[in-house]
Amino acid sequence: MNADAAHGQPITPAEATAAVFVVIPAFNEASCIEQVVQAVRAAGPLDVVVVDDGSTDGTGDLARRFTGHVLRHLINRGQGAALQTGIEFALLAGARIIVTFDADGQHCAEDVSALVAPIEAGTCDIVLGSRFLGRAVGLPGGRRLLLRFGVWFTRLVSGAKLTDVHNGLRAFSRRAAERIRIRLDGMAHASELVDQIVRSGLAYQEVPVTVRYTPYSKSKGQSSRGAFRVALHYLLGRMIR
Amino acid sequence: MNAFQVLVVGVLAFLFAGSIVALYRGWSTRRESLIWCALCIIAAAAMLQPELTVRVAHALGIGRGADLVFYTAVVVMMVGFWMVYIRLRYLRRDITTLVRHLAILEARSGLSGSSGRKGPDPIHDRPPTA
Repeated sequence: MNADAAHGQPITPAEATAAVFVVIPAFNEASCIEQVVQAVRAAGPLDVVVVDDGSTDGTGDLARRFTGHVLRHLINRGQGAALQTGIEFALLAGARIIVTFDADGQHCAEDVSALVAPIEAGTCDIVLGSRFLGRAVGLPGGRRLLLRFGVWFTRLVSGAKLTDVHNGLRAFSRRAAERIRIRLDGMAHASELVDQIVRSGLAYQEVPVTVRYTPYSKSKGQSSRGAFRVALHYLLGRMIR
Repeated sequence: MNAFQVLVVGVLAFLFAGSIVALYRGWSTRRESLIWCALCIIAAAAMLQPELTVRVAHALGIGRGADLVFYTAVVVMMVGFWMVYIRLRYLRRDITTLVRHLAILEARSGLSGSSGRKGPDPIHDRPPTA
């Protein structure tokens, strides 16, 4: 596995109590990181890994109060890069299942158990949260259209028949996390992930989740121009390995 | 030779010399220097003997020498931009790898410190390799 090759022998952190690790990539999320980490910790025996992606508002220091696993990117590298860092760390720490979770407070920590369940039951290796199978509370019309376009675009390019592609709530078995490597640093990683999931040949499924849109989470989301850029980065990423 | 030709040929001569120096100092590969030198020579020839471009343009079925220069410049620039873009992507990827490595090392040292674990650290206390 890349992680082992890059960072030496596996580690055995004393604080790692559960084999389910929740990776939260965070960039300037000081206003809600505490709430998010606390909610995830309250959801079960989970190890929370916060990857502070070069924040300038003290996100990392705040997160450190609530979890021992805070990784700090010296400079901002994007959500895809932060996720890969967290996944590699979780693998080194002996994670059996890795869940990815957004830091902007959109996701419900209660959904984590629904994501983990199929992997624990051995029915699949990758579980993807879908707001369109579940609930999207306060989802603006424009954003809904953009997300639908993302689903259609990914289906066209990757051939994956999913209902929600750009949902940060996902779960991977250790085997899946070892096979998948996010190379696109920015937001295009979501489509890249689907690509890799399809190519890996591992079993995957979608489960319904709830995504709650707040004025804060909406302000941090993608604009339509940003979405176009993401699509371009994804296509270029497919061309240049 | 008019003043403009003198100026452009001077700049091209400077670039040509720079490519040779870069090769000998190890700043560029032989292939890169060769490409730059060839481009400088072709550009200088086109500047000093414009009728050459007309002859080549006619041979290629293009009406004017200026058109040939324009089309060539566009293609060379596009290839150049693409190569720079690819290099930039790889550079970004390398930076991310480095940032990730540092983040994980830092987290590990924090973990081993806070847990009060005794004994050698698997990464930091590894014996140096040759």
